[in-house]
Amino acid sequence: MNSEGRVRTDQRINSDLLRPLMQTSWRFYLLVAIFGGIVAAALIGWTSQVTRGFGITGIRWPVYWGFYVTSFVFWIGISHAGTLISAILRLVNAEWRRPVTRCAEVITVFALMIGAMFPIIHLGRPWLAFWLFPYPSERMIWPNFRSPLVWDFFAINTYLTGSTLFLFLPMIPDFAVVRDKSAGLRHRIYRVLALGWRGSPKQWHRLETAMQIMAIAIIPVAVSVHTIVSFDFSMAPVPMWQSTVFGPYFVAGAIFSGIAALLIAMAVLRRFLHLEEYLHPVHFENLGKLLLMMALLWGYFVFNERLVTYYGNRPGEMAVFWRTQRESFAPLYWTMVTCNFVLPLVLMGIRPFRTITSCVIASIGVVIGMWLERFLIIVPSLGHKYLPYSYGIYRPQPVEILIAGATFAAMTLLYVLFAKVVPIISIWELKAGEHVPSTLIPPATQEHPLGELHL
Amino acid sequence: MPKWGMAVDLDRCNGCGACVTACHAENNISTVGAEEAARGRAKHWIRVERYWEGDFPDVRLKFRPVMCQQCDNAPCEPVCPTYASHHTADGLNAQVYNRCIGTRYCANACPYNVRFFDFFNPSWEKPLHLQLNPDVSLREVGVMEKCTFCVQRIKGATIQAKADGRPLADGEIQPACAQACPAKALVFGDLDDPGSAVSRLSKSSRGSKLLDDLGTRPSVTYLERQS
Amino acid sequence: MKAIYALYPDGQAAQQAVNRLRAAGFADREITILSPQPMEEYEFGRRDKATWMWWIACGGGLVGMAIALGLTWLTETSWPIDVGGLPIFAWWPNLIIVFELTMLGAIVATVATLVVTARLGRSSVLYDPEVSEGKILVGIEDPPDTAVPDLKTTLGAVREALVKTI
Repeated sequence: MNSEGRVRTDQRINSDLLRPLMQTSWRFYLLVAIFGGIVAAALIGWTSQVTRGFGITGIRWPVYWGFYVTSFVFWIGISHAGTLISAILRLVNAEWRRPVTRCAEVITVFALMIGAMFPIIHLGRPWLAFWLFPYPSERMIWPNFRSPLVWDFFAINTYLTGSTLFLFLPMIPDFAVVRDKSAGLRHRIYRVLALGWRGSPKQWHRLETAMQIMAIAIIPVAVSVHTIVSFDFSMAPVPMWQSTVFGPYFVAGAIFSGIAALLIAMAVLRRFLHLEEYLHPVHFENLGKLLLMMALLWGYFVFNERLVTYYGNRPGEMAVFWRTQRESFAPLYWTMVTCNFVLPLVLMGIRPFRTITSCVIASIGVVIGMWLERFLIIVPSLGHKYLPYSYGIYRPQPVEILIAGATFAAMTLLYVLFAKVVPIISIWELKAGEHVPSTLIPPATQEHPLGELHL
Repeated sequence: MPKWGMAVDLDRCNGCGACVTACHAENNISTVGAEEAARGRAKHWIRVERYWEGDFPDVRLKFRPVMCQQCDNAPCEPVCPTYASHHTADGLNAQVYNRCIGTRYCANACPYNVRFFDFFNPSWEKPLHLQLNPDVSLREVGVMEKCTFCVQRIKGATIQAKADGRPLADGEIQPACAQACPAKALVFGDLDDPGSAVSRLSKSSRGSKLLDDLGTRPSVTYLERQS
Repeated sequence: MKAIYALYPDGQAAQQAVNRLRAAGFADREITILSPQPMEEYEFGRRDKATWMWWIACGGGLVGMAIALGLTWLTETSWPIDVGGLPIFAWWPNLIIVFELTMLGAIVATVATLVVTARLGRSSVLYDPEVSEGKILVGIEDPPDTAVPDLKTTLGAVREALVKTI
């Protein structure tokens, strides 16, 4: 401990957290090559879909939404943990948040970017996607503000803007650190990014006030975004879609999947960037407990939704109900229940099982389970609406599987690139947490011009 | 202002499918081929649903022609982000191909599954292209299409009547399906005209609406089969 | 000279330096203090806390709300289209647009206020990269030439001070 009772010096924090930026191993290039290749293949796949026709997908009458909309809802859901966790932990001043906030905020921004691509990918005429933007066109027509898809457009853009700013603002002081510790081209780039940051008390106060306001603003926006995504379903008279519980159900599911993604990201970063000193088992414990809580909440909402449907006993709804529970979709359904409910409860609920490895296993299970949950909301209902003559079975085609799978590669790629250019743990926030509060040095007064401390 | 509607007499329908063929011919609907049809891409704006009831030897076969119900409370309309699906003053649900960007939300919202997506650009093998109807636009890949109650015929007859300076007579407008039906099972007309055939048939005691309990208020009345 | 400053190893030393400068007759706004993280537990770290940012954020929200109401009202009434029998200006769904643009307005106003009041994007002459390594900088920009030798003594009087000039 030094004179101020600090455990780690600023130099130590700087060198540890800047090492990924300053040193690059061959593993980085290999990762970028592999994941970049997968993403490139998906781009080629989508181009062929646009040029050869939408028919190369498995979409059919009457199942008009499939893998793409599943991925859309899934990735928007993943985006919820980051900013929500970071914002809530900031507002309640939880000290353990410090190494976690940026990892979380990055997940939000990239998951949102990936998710927001899908409303364009799944369009029949994607070159006209700009019609969703309200601009005065020569056709004198504006978007239909009563459509849930237009609400999606506004909500996702607001959330993306808010999250990107929420991520970028606390990066400014860290860009200043990189600027000070580097030379040449890197120094020039980070000097621009640091926006002339110096670290005066005024700047710190303005930054922290801005973060407070944004934390308060971003939480209702995050809740609204996934509620609005759930409105994509609940506004249509499809069996088991017209449920008033969809809003909170989707938000809870989103936070659930987001925490799982955050746990995976943290565990991977801890291992590969040697951040064992900064990401402690207690961080994983705390997030693991949150995961457990969200698993219980998710189970509560599923129980609500299904019990009410069961009691309603309407033929159209019950046909879809049984389809998921014991007919053709039963294997997927029970896998989902195991991954989302049983596994987290066992691994996170029993204290001796709650290790970093088990957190990762539970989280991977939750990610799989939540993807399945989105799929099982969309496809069984659409394939089994009210007129039996028009039932249909959806079979995903290679292009859809490729694009949906490549999103995971895209997320990893973006994350790896980000960790290469920005310190993945917020340096200044960590330093601020290192301070053991000491007694206040009083300011200068008339009697004591030097303001000496009197013990 | 007329309010267009249809009555379908299930007692008369024998499932011949002439209405389906006529609709394809009138509205420039391309056939998609056997393979694509098996994958669920056929675009039958009107389709004849066939239901088997009972076990052998007491099997009964029922036919029901289903086309766009032109619902008064259409669930497909509020959800379209570009106003491609909207309601006209004369009670039709209009589909504007030029505004459609292909989100397919309207098709999901339609409980009758009467909306179809163009999965590929349509093509007609020569000399079938000579048979295309010049009054109906061709739809490119990525847009939604559906039965319009042959709006081109409605507009044509309305303009002709206005030019002649006379009101429209009942039965003057015949959508392709109603015109082709050999059993005269499909009747089209103005529901707001108390003297029209479709008004009379809609009030029949045999009459009911499809999926009435969903609250879509369709404009098509189905007259129950009696035999 | 453009500036004279000293680097201190911790907050206590920096506070003493600030007190000495005040005793020497310098006003608070003339004293520049730079630190690698916010230092709320010291008096010098509590300067310039008052801000209008909260009010500006609310104002930005109101602007966003007005834009959303205007956008929905004007566009929906200028070409009334019947969709599913919903009213032409349906305030239930329009509330969603209003909410999103209100929050966007608040967020953008906050960031704009931050950029302007923290003088981001404007460079200053007084800075030392040692600040990132944990040192706290206390100094005076554009000191009067006559005061420079006294300043060097005042700043250097605190322990472990590293006095520099630009």
